[in-house]
Amino acid sequence: MLTRINIGPIHPSTHGVLHLVVDLDGDTIDNIEPHIGFLHRGVEKLVETRMYMQSPPYMEKIDYVAPMSVDEAYVAAVEAALGIEVNERAQYARMILLELQRLASHLFFIGALTNDVGQMFTGFMWGFRDRELILRLLEEATGQRMFYVNMRLGGLANDFPKDFKEHVLDTMNYLSGRLKNYESFLEKNPIFMQRMKGVGVLTKEDAIAFGVTGHVLRASGVPYDVRNNNPYYFYRKLNFREQTLSHGDNFARYRIKIMEMRESIRIIRESFEDMPEGDATGQMVKLRSPPVKNKTVTVSREAPRGEVMMYLVAGDQKPYRLSMRTPTFINLHVLNHIAKGNRLADLYSILGSLDVVMADVDR
Amino acid sequence: MLIGSINAAEAFIQAGINSTSVPIAMLFILLYAVLVSILMSVYAYVFGWVERKVIAKIQYRHGPTYVGKYGILQNLADFIKLITKEVRYPENADSILMPLSLVALVSVVVFIILILPLTPSLLATNMGLGLLLVFVILDFSPLLLFITGFASGNKFGELGAQRSVLMLISYSIPLTIVVGTVALAAHGFNIAGVISAQSSIPFILLMPVGFIVFFIAMLAELERSPFDLREADSELIAGWLTDVSGPYYALALMLDYTRMFMGSLLISILFLSGWYGPVFPPLVWLLIKAFIVSLFIILIRTAVVRMRIDKILRMGWIYLLPLSLLNLLITFMLFR
Repeated sequence: MLTRINIGPIHPSTHGVLHLVVDLDGDTIDNIEPHIGFLHRGVEKLVETRMYMQSPPYMEKIDYVAPMSVDEAYVAAVEAALGIEVNERAQYARMILLELQRLASHLFFIGALTNDVGQMFTGFMWGFRDRELILRLLEEATGQRMFYVNMRLGGLANDFPKDFKEHVLDTMNYLSGRLKNYESFLEKNPIFMQRMKGVGVLTKEDAIAFGVTGHVLRASGVPYDVRNNNPYYFYRKLNFREQTLSHGDNFARYRIKIMEMRESIRIIRESFEDMPEGDATGQMVKLRSPPVKNKTVTVSREAPRGEVMMYLVAGDQKPYRLSMRTPTFINLHVLNHIAKGNRLADLYSILGSLDVVMADVDR
Repeated sequence: MLIGSINAAEAFIQAGINSTSVPIAMLFILLYAVLVSILMSVYAYVFGWVERKVIAKIQYRHGPTYVGKYGILQNLADFIKLITKEVRYPENADSILMPLSLVALVSVVVFIILILPLTPSLLATNMGLGLLLVFVILDFSPLLLFITGFASGNKFGELGAQRSVLMLISYSIPLTIVVGTVALAAHGFNIAGVISAQSSIPFILLMPVGFIVFFIAMLAELERSPFDLREADSELIAGWLTDVSGPYYALALMLDYTRMFMGSLLISILFLSGWYGPVFPPLVWLLIKAFIVSLFIILIRTAVVRMRIDKILRMGWIYLLPLSLLNLLITFMLFR
């Protein structure tokens, strides 16, 4: 006999307002039906009613754990539509900020994941403490702790402050030491490994068929990373390597995040070395924008959770249509497929390892 | 002076309990029960605060700081908040069974602590099969937990209760075997006898395997992390307590710490030579040992991940049960 339980929308481990109707056969999951849409705001339609540079604040709220990643993709799409060049220093500056944002988001992931597998709050606090250091750096660079709105056409709202480089490099040194702590704290814990290894396996074929991106895809052994396959800014020059594992289980998804954090730290260090002198400041926000150069543009970015794609049909002064592909809606899609047949307790670790942000799913 | 007054109070209560007049003995047993309950509540209160502070330090947090010095009154504030709340039962809940089984769970703990001798002279009863009685009563708790979970009329409560009963049943077997082994080594089930058998060497050194099995099984019995299945914060919301509200929730929270007190007392009595120790009086030594054991139990919580129910059962049957039998065999060889 099946038991039907409702998990969420108010629940400690659904990462926001996700409602899962779970059919249980004893303690084994028979079927999961996710109900989404509690956070739907209609961003795509809202954008059509705004001037181009009035939209970034909306974009930041799409993925509130990594706001800058979506915002930057939108601004890059507008830049491509209006034909605005970004100077070299601004490109490096954006890369540094985006990688910092990725680090903050991945630390958040590790904190939330340890909570999901029942490690009550030690890993959580560790992750959030270290994330706070990154947020402090971002605050130093942009003036805001979480919602930055510092992308401008052709650059940033303001150039990096004095001593920013030293502060970032200090934090990176500290963080690369901390990553070893995370590894020894979690990976030497047999119960953690038991809960992660071989649970929620997504095969390579299924990963491609479902269209997942980001760490979920790379953990299944597909070497696809937008930063490498369709490089933007100077990722190709910095010899960026995407991180791939082949097991496709919870542990691989967790491990990819740790490996990516190492890679991000390396990118940040090298970017500071290569960054030319100059001014990274972009144009001031003006309501009237220059005439449209490209009618339709597609911009693709590797956000911390997967591929963000912006398909912009430019109109005069306002977008005629903006269609977005945000990663976690598609990543959440595989939940039923990989969680079926597992224990109820594993549902939370699988959901945690998919790293969903409900605002990003619902938009 | 404090030690002198403790000794005097002990002698006074013991004389009353041993009195030939039945009403006076009853009265003194009641008095003793009140004292033990106060001790238990104070311990629960203090440990509630210690757990919050110690774990906060490990997790780079501050813990409670606002109410009272170092937040010492925070638990009192929480308690007042909870007991002044309305008691609500969901539609399907059994409004009689649910509170009753919670109260019964607390009384199981009080009863066990009453049977345990706190000093050589301060004991309510010195029955020959005391240790057996303790573990017989302890095995009531799965049943009561099950009733609470089911009476709450909530599927999360039911799931939590089901898991916890599965676990408790499979862990009480190695637990009981180790207790039997201890009785074998102490030549009897008398608890005071078990302690005095450890006057020269505590049982933890004689049977380390037995201690480890007992400690793990006791953690499961107390349902502390990594065996905190019945609550499973991030999975089942609050498990069996999901629909327990107001004062009964306060009772359930207190139950957690009183059970921990009981478990720590049992561990210190069975393996850490109970009240034996230099300088301090026996009661203080017992409490110090129980305190250290409790501290160790809460420190485990900061480092481990919750185990999954099937793995827990597997560990119980495949590792703990054979180990407890091995321990029995070795002890039998030594003490036959």
